[in-house]
Amino acid sequence: MNEIGGAPLFFLEFGDIVIYFTPFTLTLFLLALVFSVFVLVSRPERQIDIAFGGDAYYAKEISLSELRFRRFMSIACGLACMGAMVTGDVFDFTLFVSLVGICNVGIVAAVRSRHVQNAAYQYGLVALAGTVPMFAAAAMVAATTGTLSMLELAKGTATVPVAARALLVLGVMGEGMAPFYAAKAEMFRAPGAPYVIMCSLSSLLIFLRVAEVILLI
Amino acid sequence: MIIQKISRILSNFDNILPVFAAACAAMSLLVILTLPLPYSGDQLYPKQIVPGSSLNPYDRGGPPFTQAVIHSQYPGNSPTAGYVTAYLTPLSLFISEHTLYMGTTIVAHPGGILDEILYNTRGLDTVVEPTILFVAFAVAAYLFRKREA
Repeated sequence: MNEIGGAPLFFLEFGDIVIYFTPFTLTLFLLALVFSVFVLVSRPERQIDIAFGGDAYYAKEISLSELRFRRFMSIACGLACMGAMVTGDVFDFTLFVSLVGICNVGIVAAVRSRHVQNAAYQYGLVALAGTVPMFAAAAMVAATTGTLSMLELAKGTATVPVAARALLVLGVMGEGMAPFYAAKAEMFRAPGAPYVIMCSLSSLLIFLRVAEVILLI
Repeated sequence: MIIQKISRILSNFDNILPVFAAACAAMSLLVILTLPLPYSGDQLYPKQIVPGSSLNPYDRGGPPFTQAVIHSQYPGNSPTAGYVTAYLTPLSLFISEHTLYMGTTIVAHPGGILDEILYNTRGLDTVVEPTILFVAFAVAAYLFRKREA
């Protein structure tokens, strides 16, 4: 077996979907877990605007409902990320990645500002478009090899066409586009912190994982 | 210089969507050029279409509570797959016995055919799919209700 992420340490079977932990996927899983716990215990940052030419400043309050929603979305994103890190099935991986994309849309969209909402809308369109190549890739893997299990594909008995790998990467790129929008909407500090960190982290993690998947299958 | 130009274009988030759409279009063209792809005959979960069956095209065969053959990837992980795949509630059974044209209706209502690919061998997929829907509903509901607050 092609062991790009190290020898599997532990298998968790859900029928045909076998979740496996290698040193690589376990590291990514723990990273997502630790950040989800951070999000769970952290409080939102308050934005301070300073008026020029005087000592005046005003602090923006973040309402409880907004806090709750963003925390919920960040935790959901963390859970989706954990799933995407360890799953051993190509179709399950694409599902988890699209769940990460939807959660990122929610995190960005929860900020009350027209500028940020526009960014969320644009990102939503990209995430929506990204699902098409991603699921096309999963369908092509199933049709050309007859299986979806990464563990079976890693044995090298069937070759996955280059087109399917390229489509998978393109789709994950679309889903992982969130940091572009979050950064441009200037929400890394006050309006979105600290929950928006989950956007960047989840995008980074799904990129790392898709690299492993591409090399494995 | 060229990096500066690219970064100037990408720094406006209104431009990312056209760039991504162009990348998707270019990729589709490349994929079309690599066609035809080979089709593997040895597929998981095969299903044949039985013309005379009233459950067509969802019939996976076999009487209920005897194990139907489901060619799964790891049969050891789902030893009970195939037992209830042909089970119908009395109403569904009545419909299926009296007409040949209600297959989709039987599948689409509770107590119709339980496709064990969805609920047993690939159950985790079926859990993640509604999760995506629920999260999407949560986002949409939050955005809709926010206007009232």
